[in-house]
Amino acid sequence: MKRLKAILSDVLEIDEASITDETSPDNVDTWDSMNGLVLVTELEIKFNIKFKMEEVTSVKCVGDIKAALRSHGVVLSE
Amino acid sequence: METLKKIIAQKKIKGISDYFTLYRRLNRACKEKEPSYDKKMKIAILSSFTSNGIKEALYVKCCALGIFPEIYVAKYKQYTQEILNPESGLYQFSPDLIILFIDAMTLWGDDFFQAYRRSDTSRKEWVSENGDEIESLIEKIKEGSSAKILLHNLSVPEYSPLGILENKQDFGFFEATESLNRKLRADYKTDRQVFVFDYDAFCSKIGKQHIVDHKMYYIGDMKLSLNHMPALADAYLPYIKSMASMTRKCLVLDLDNTLWGGVVGEDGLEGIRLGPTPEGRPFWEFQKYILSLFERGVILAINSKNNFEDAIQVIREHPDMVLREHHFAAMRINWEDKISNIKSIAEEINIGTGSLVFLDDDKLNQEMVRTACPEVLVPVLPEDPSSYLQMLMEIDDFSSLQITDEDKNKGRMYAAQKKRTAIKKTATDLSEYLKQLKTKVTIEKANSFTIPRISQLTQKTNQFNMTTKRYLEEDIKSFSRREDVLVLSLKAEDKFGDNGICGVAIVKKGPEQWEIDSFLLSCRVLGRKIEETFVAYIIERAKNEQAQTLVGTFSPTPKNMPARGFYEKAGFSPLEGKKGREISVYDLNKAYPYPDFIQLIRTD
Repeated sequence: MKRLKAILSDVLEIDEASITDETSPDNVDTWDSMNGLVLVTELEIKFNIKFKMEEVTSVKCVGDIKAALRSHGVVLSE
Repeated sequence: METLKKIIAQKKIKGISDYFTLYRRLNRACKEKEPSYDKKMKIAILSSFTSNGIKEALYVKCCALGIFPEIYVAKYKQYTQEILNPESGLYQFSPDLIILFIDAMTLWGDDFFQAYRRSDTSRKEWVSENGDEIESLIEKIKEGSSAKILLHNLSVPEYSPLGILENKQDFGFFEATESLNRKLRADYKTDRQVFVFDYDAFCSKIGKQHIVDHKMYYIGDMKLSLNHMPALADAYLPYIKSMASMTRKCLVLDLDNTLWGGVVGEDGLEGIRLGPTPEGRPFWEFQKYILSLFERGVILAINSKNNFEDAIQVIREHPDMVLREHHFAAMRINWEDKISNIKSIAEEINIGTGSLVFLDDDKLNQEMVRTACPEVLVPVLPEDPSSYLQMLMEIDDFSSLQITDEDKNKGRMYAAQKKRTAIKKTATDLSEYLKQLKTKVTIEKANSFTIPRISQLTQKTNQFNMTTKRYLEEDIKSFSRREDVLVLSLKAEDKFGDNGICGVAIVKKGPEQWEIDSFLLSCRVLGRKIEETFVAYIIERAKNEQAQTLVGTFSPTPKNMPARGFYEKAGFSPLEGKKGREISVYDLNKAYPYPDFIQLIRTD
């Protein structure tokens, strides 16, 4: 989880401590649709995976990102 | 600008998201406090798809270079409307550079997937229709803007429904796309405003398979993956650097393990690696490429820790040495430290250290020069000499938007300068030296052949430049059309070679009083009475046209101290200076003699 939080904090310019599963475009100003795609690109590179298109379009919050990462075999240590 | 550079230096750039983050940070910093800058560039991006990421990457890279950018991105898929509407945001923005990025898929439409529903004839029509369409867009831009235009060509597709039969067609899908590229290239070969950007080569370099992230394409119509936006921005930079006159002029080279393999002091003339062997070829071909840089006008110099006799023997006698003594404008082969050598090379050639690129295999030397002279470009030389050539080819800092004849000969002109300095040492006094030089000066009014060079000199000359006013080609053109402005170029030649056009004067002619708006001379010809000849000519001309006084202005900058006091020395009387300017006036009833030993050729 630390790695994911670090990436989220870096891309969205938010405090790591403030990130929860409920963090979403609704409560983060910098998380607009463009930055969402930037985030996808970074996650794919950092975790060396490829999201499916459907995963990208259906993600609504950090909790969803974690689920998608897990389904690609990424182990997230809480 | 320094604050912005600091913000960039503080962040390690690893991926595309860092450009977005930095872009936001830089913007915030600019909002807090208007940055001070001396170079600014307004760039408009028009593209046929979602090109987010280019702006961010380009913005950060420009700031890092010290160019303050303002970037306008046309609304999604609105490039045609923006170009056709003279009131559009594009023209209101009044850009210096317009990037027009139309992609192959957009132009082919659905036929991109079904190119063979069209006949051979219809594919030919596709080429001429789209070629005409792009040309008319470009014409329209030219009507509304004098910006330089960077026009993307098309990435030639790599898949065909016909597979291996693609190249057997009368006029196939690939061939049609290539034809359009060829047409664009041919159309703008001699155009000074439009530059065709080889996007096809860019895509090939990255690998066409990796250009598109298909999911992003379907989600956001992104036809170039976000990951590659920084590389695309890099590919635009040579144009931007060249427009901002940030072109570098001189390549300073180490010898041992840079121009040849091994250490000549230890391995001897026969022992070094150079020539058509596996170990020698990387250095041999490296030198061949350096020679071609010399031939396009890059000045060469040597900075090497060596016994002079050992090294010069290789340069003079080694059968496979490509670069010889006459290619180098300055040679420092000694045991001095590399930093003082670099400085004295710049001094001898008479250019700023900011125009230098230094190649040395030694990491310590690299770091030393980088620290002591951060304005010198010091690339990291690869560990393996077999990669030297590739590294050098990647350096785009010698690029310029146009090569004038003067540019092509620059390497040669500076090497001839070395010989001039040599007789300066033997001649006992200055007039003896000038007599020996046999300088011939040609002064003529600006014409279509000289205008590009005149503009270039106003952009690049820093030291002997009285007012440092920078003019674009368009400006010079419109001056030269005016009856009340005199634009003059000066060409200098001597027994060692032709210096080409190296001086410019722009004079505003009033009925009583003439005013020198710009007066500059390339510093490599300074101190040879050429500047005095130039002034004498202007005075003569003003007199002939019944003017009473000639006014000269000196506006000090951090770099033009060599020009200070020139008018006074020439007999101008100082007037009260206005803020930051020193004004002096010449009474045209006074005679001004032409200096001796200079042959003046008038062309009017």
